[in-house]
Order: sequence, then C-alpha cells, then structure tokens
Amino acid sequence: MTGPDAPDALRATGLGFRYRRRGGWALRDCEFTVPGGRVTALVGRNGAGKTTLLHLAGGLLRPGSGELRALDAVPGTSEARARVALLAQDKPLYPRFTVADTLLMGEKLNFSWDRTTAERTVREGGVPLHARVGELSPGRRTRVALALALGKRPELLLLDEPLADLDPVARGDIMAGLMAEAAERGTSIVLSSHVLPEIEETCDWVLVLRDGRVELSEDAYTVRESHAVLTGHADQADALATEHTVVQRRTAGRQLTALIRRHGPLHGAWHVERPRLEDILIGYLQDVEPRHPAPAERTEAAA
Amino acid sequence: MKGSLWLAWRQQRVSAGIGAAALVVAVAVAVYFRSGMLDALHSGLFDHCATGPLYCTRSDTGLPLLLDVEPLKYLGVLNIALPVVIGVFWGAPLLGRDRELGTHRLVLAQGVSRGQWFASRFALAAATTIALSGLLAGVFSWWWRPAADRSYGLFWYDNTALSGSGPRVVAAALFGLAAGTLLGLLARRVLAAMGLTLLATGVTTLLLEWTHRARLLVPPHTYVSAGSVPKAPMGEKWSTGTYGLITASGRHDDVLKCAFPSGTQLKECMAAHGYVARFYKANPAGDYWAFQWTDTAVLGGLAVVLTVVTVLLLRRRV
Repeated sequence: MTGPDAPDALRATGLGFRYRRRGGWALRDCEFTVPGGRVTALVGRNGAGKTTLLHLAGGLLRPGSGELRALDAVPGTSEARARVALLAQDKPLYPRFTVADTLLMGEKLNFSWDRTTAERTVREGGVPLHARVGELSPGRRTRVALALALGKRPELLLLDEPLADLDPVARGDIMAGLMAEAAERGTSIVLSSHVLPEIEETCDWVLVLRDGRVELSEDAYTVRESHAVLTGHADQADALATEHTVVQRRTAGRQLTALIRRHGPLHGAWHVERPRLEDILIGYLQDVEPRHPAPAERTEAAA
Repeated sequence: MKGSLWLAWRQQRVSAGIGAAALVVAVAVAVYFRSGMLDALHSGLFDHCATGPLYCTRSDTGLPLLLDVEPLKYLGVLNIALPVVIGVFWGAPLLGRDRELGTHRLVLAQGVSRGQWFASRFALAAATTIALSGLLAGVFSWWWRPAADRSYGLFWYDNTALSGSGPRVVAAALFGLAAGTLLGLLARRVLAAMGLTLLATGVTTLLLEWTHRARLLVPPHTYVSAGSVPKAPMGEKWSTGTYGLITASGRHDDVLKCAFPSGTQLKECMAAHGYVARFYKANPAGDYWAFQWTDTAVLGGLAVVLTVVTVLLLRRRV
C-alpha cells in the first residue's frame, strides 16, 4: 500500500462522453474517486461504458464534459503517458512482428522500460520469442500485450477484459502476477471483467457502471459488510424500503428475498445472510425493479 | 520521437526497399539505353537533321530517321503514374493499416502522442517520396536531354516529357501520398482507402493532363504574320492546331475561309475577304517551365491542404 500522499488513481468530476455529437451518452455525470494503490474491479454489463471509461483514462478519448484525472495528470499528456499503461480489450498488436520485435517496440516507444519483467511475462506463458504475433493463440497474444503494459512499469495499469481469452490456469497465473506487482510496487490496477469470482479474490475496490452512470465506487470490504440478503414475509417490504436501500428484490408467493444496503439495525422477522461480493455486484447490475424474475434468466443476463 | 521514428522505419522499410529497387532498375535501364542513344547520335546519321517537328529521313533509303525513345517514354509513364502508385500503396496504409487493426491504440498507449505517431511516419514517407520521385524525374531528364526537342527524339510537349520530368513529378508524388494518407484516416478499411485513393489520384492526374491539352492554365501565344508572307516556322513550339486569318479591324477567322497553302490563290482569297494577316496559336518551348511550375503549384498546394486537413482530423478520428 502506498502512503496517504499517493495521488488518486482515478478521479472524475461530472465526467461525460458521447461518441457522436448528437448521439447518446456513453458516460454521463460520472463522479467518483479511486484511491491509489488499489486493485479495482470495473464492473458493468455490456455497453455500460467500461471500455469508454478506460479509454478516457488511457488518453485515447477526450471527455465530452467534466474532467478525469489519472494520477492527478490529464490523460494523454506526456506525463500521464509515461505513468499509465492501458491494455485495450481487443489486444491490438502488429501481426507481422515477432514477439521479440513487439517487446523491442515497447522498449523504443516508452520513456522507461523493464525488459526483465516484460520477457518474464512472456516466458511464463511459454510464448516463443521468435514467433510471429499473428500466429499466436488469443491467450498468448494477451500475454504479449500484457508484457508490453507491464514492461512500461506503470504506476496505474488499466486492463480492459484481460482475462477473457485465458484458460483457467493462465488466469490464475496472471492474476497472481498482477497481485504481486501491486503489492511490491504499489501499482494501482483498474481491471474490467465479467469473471466475477476472480474479482472477489483479488480486488479491494469496486467501481460499478450502469448505463453510463457510476452506481458504486467503494472499498470492497465495506461493500461486503454493509450489504445483506434478507428472506422473510413480503408484508415487511415497505417498512424495509424506508429504513434501508433495497438493491434488488424477488418475491416468490408471500416470501420476499431482498438484497439491501443496511443503514442502521434491522427490524422485523428476517432471515439474514451474508452475501458474496459476486452476489452484491450482480444485484447492482440487474434492474432495480425486475419485471419477470425467473431465476434462470437472471443468471444468464448477468453472466 | 526517436522511438516512433524507429517504428515508422520498421513498418515502411519494405516499401522503401521496393522503391529503391525500382529506382535501381530505372537507372540501369536508363544507362543502357542512353548509351545506345548516344552511340546512334555520334554515328553522324542525324547530323543533317534540322530541328522542328518534321521527320528527318535517311538520305539513301528515304525512310524516317528516329531514335529509340520508347523505353524513355515508359519511364515517363511511370513518373506520371507515380502519385497513384505511391498514394495507393504507401499513403493509404500509412494510417489506415493502424486504424483497421486498432494498433494505433497500442502505439498511443505507449509513450507516443498522436502528433508524434502521425508526424514521424508521415515525415519518413514524405522524405522517401521526395527522394524517389526526385531521382526518377532526374533520371528521365538526364536520359531525355540528348534527344530533347528533335524530330527524331522527344519534344518537350510530349505527355511523357511534360508530365514525367521536372519538379511537378515530386509535387505529384507528394500529392498522392497526402491524398492516400487522408483517405486512409477517413476509411475504416485499408482496401477501401486504396480504392478511393486510386480514384482520387487517377482522376486528378487525368484532369491535369487535360488542362495541358486544353492549355487551360498556360494559355498559348498568338503568332501573327502580315499578309501572305510565310508564317514563322512551328519549330519546337507546341501547336494548338488553331490557325486563322485576321481582318483589318482585328477580327480572327478560321483558316478554312481561305484554305490555301500559299501563293496566288491565297493572296486572292485574302484580298477578297479583306484579310490582312494570318496567325496560329502555340506554346513556345520556354513554356515547358510555365507548365511545370503551374503543375507544381497546384499539386503542391493540394498536398499541403490535404496534409493540414489530416492533422486537423487526427484528434477527432483517432
């Protein structure tokens, strides 16, 4: 962990962005702070604005309104470029370059370069250095792209869906590597992912986006402590809603199951369960007022 | 900047190599055929030939005497096609390849700014284009000079000489590069950008050839000869094909009013219609440079405008 003087990894005020001047807002009125030295899970459903947010933070896009600061620097400036690394979702790489060429490119294009880290990341995945990037499997391409991002020795590492193409073993390896990086060097990491169980184990900050707005930006432990899953008689629903924030609820006959954020002690006859972080996040990702809550459909929609 | 220049070279070295190979072939062909041409000129066969557009014939057989300028014309055609070739194969992929693969995100996520990304690769491509087109135009001029403006050689107003030599070749090549670069930025696919570049550069090239033929940008001079005295010889002037007659009041009429070569018939006809002089319109040989500089200004100006538009769109498009 870094000291209290460390700059915030990301800080947004009134941040908005749309791809076309008359188009809809991809992000709107975003107001959040991600402290430095955290491993942040950026969670949201498809089209919620995760990639847009990461591209804004990486300096590939410019805010349409409001402002965003990465490590107190304006994204896209040379100061920010030197300290922030971005792994884009489609892992763009030059297909005709060999892996060695690609790493050499990283060395040439960056202000500082850690060849040992970059080569280790590639070697751990068993990727041959002389292979052409275009002939690698998507998982190995991810390795190479990640090596480029890590070789830069960034203070803030932005990862857009880094785990999507990886097998379970590689996922574990890479996440462990990232955790070690964060622990040893105090690197702030923001990663977007749909693989919620992985997030539960590794992330200590959650940033939830829904329809271009920030739903939650909070310490993962606090989130877990402040939420509860209640099961009880449906008659108590109204009283519950006045005292606590109901994130999600589901009625089966006269029985109500609700995910709530507690504000103070619980009143009434409830069976209380401690939810997993995954369950809380799914609760936030789903609609506040579910229309036809069939359990099977819900799981699918959130996956 | 050094790093992005390294990347630009790494990506353009194959194109640069092909360009250098083409240049070497052109030089070799030029050296071979030019020495053959000089041998023919030194043989004394052409010594009796006068300058002018009329064919010079062999004294013994009466057959026309000509130098072998066909290979030289092919080089001229290559030089004319240079903006199309460079635009399609060098300009269009310059930014377009990165846009199609999304690799500009990779480069911009490293320590490289948009400006550096564009400037380094465009500067390298422009420098190579200037060197390549300049040398090809120079090779053409060097090869052409001994045969220039001779009936048995190649006149300055031949398309291949007028558009295939001089500074306008360099300006045209830069225009091709700038057009391809901009279209590569605008189109999402390299292949589409290449097609659009082919269209844009091809149409511009043909349009300029048309302005030459129509004398649109460099108007011809009017050569007047009083009465029925013989006209000044056409010589190395580029005729527009417009011949005519002038009345005392200064009216210009078509030559068909008195379609007689010379002599008494012509005199009588001119007197009957009240014509006092004859004229024809042509561009003198010195206009080679007028054509060259107007083309250079037009194509160079277009290249600058397209590059500025590219820079302005860079922020919005990438």
